[in-house]
Amino acid sequence: MLAEAPQVLIALEQSALGAAIRQSTWAYPAANVGHIVALTLFAGGVAAMDARLLGAFAATPPAAIVRPARRLAMLGLLLMAMTGSVLFTAEASHVAMNPVFQIKAALIALGVLNALLVARPLDAVLDQAAAFEPLPARIRLAALASLLIWTSVAACGRLIAYF
Amino acid sequence: MRKILGVLALLPIASAGVLAHHGWGSYDASKPITVVGPIQTLKYENPHALITVKAPDKVWTVTLAPVSRMQSRGAPAELVAVGKTVSAYGYPSTVETDEMRAERITVDGKTVELR
Repeated sequence: MLAEAPQVLIALEQSALGAAIRQSTWAYPAANVGHIVALTLFAGGVAAMDARLLGAFAATPPAAIVRPARRLAMLGLLLMAMTGSVLFTAEASHVAMNPVFQIKAALIALGVLNALLVARPLDAVLDQAAAFEPLPARIRLAALASLLIWTSVAACGRLIAYF
Repeated sequence: MRKILGVLALLPIASAGVLAHHGWGSYDASKPITVVGPIQTLKYENPHALITVKAPDKVWTVTLAPVSRMQSRGAPAELVAVGKTVSAYGYPSTVETDEMRAERITVDGKTVELR
């Protein structure tokens, strides 16, 4: 327990749930494995979606790739949030005060904001864009930002243990 | 451009897989120490079991291994129970002054590798 952490996070860590996660032999490692498996789903969806928006797989109309890939990414993100909450609860005060976790949390917010801001114009583009049709600069920029942000999130996640 | 995009697309996956479980990065492997004394407290919990050891110089917090590894290497909670005398070989934390991470521990004449 890290005394300088916000009281609510200390309470979370010291809750019955937090103790149950730490005291179970398998809950923590299972959440850890689940978090990485969910990451592969999420990263796969994000990579396919953003690669298509940036001009790869151009022979396929963007909607045919982007829409299913986005659903996969959203499923992956949901599973990551669920498994991540378990890992966070076990060590809430330490994790929350970790500088790399703080950067990671800010980047996740940025990544979600980026996706929300582009969602409406992207759907309009997907409704009519054909194969080989270059996509608007705004869409491509958001896709590039998405790749960079989510790659950084993954790196930060792994680096929490080292700082 | 296509090739660059392909590489970019793989980056999130690659960066996730490169590094293994929790690091020894914040421990100074160039200054190994051996902490010997009675175990004062035990938290047999994930992500790492923790004991405090009353050594001659001070009370050390000794970080052990995840619970499942403790069990599979032959260090159940009973082996590291409060009151037993432990000898822990490991490395001091570069962050916390009274913490070290054990490479191996010896209790009751039994040595258990924890890395």
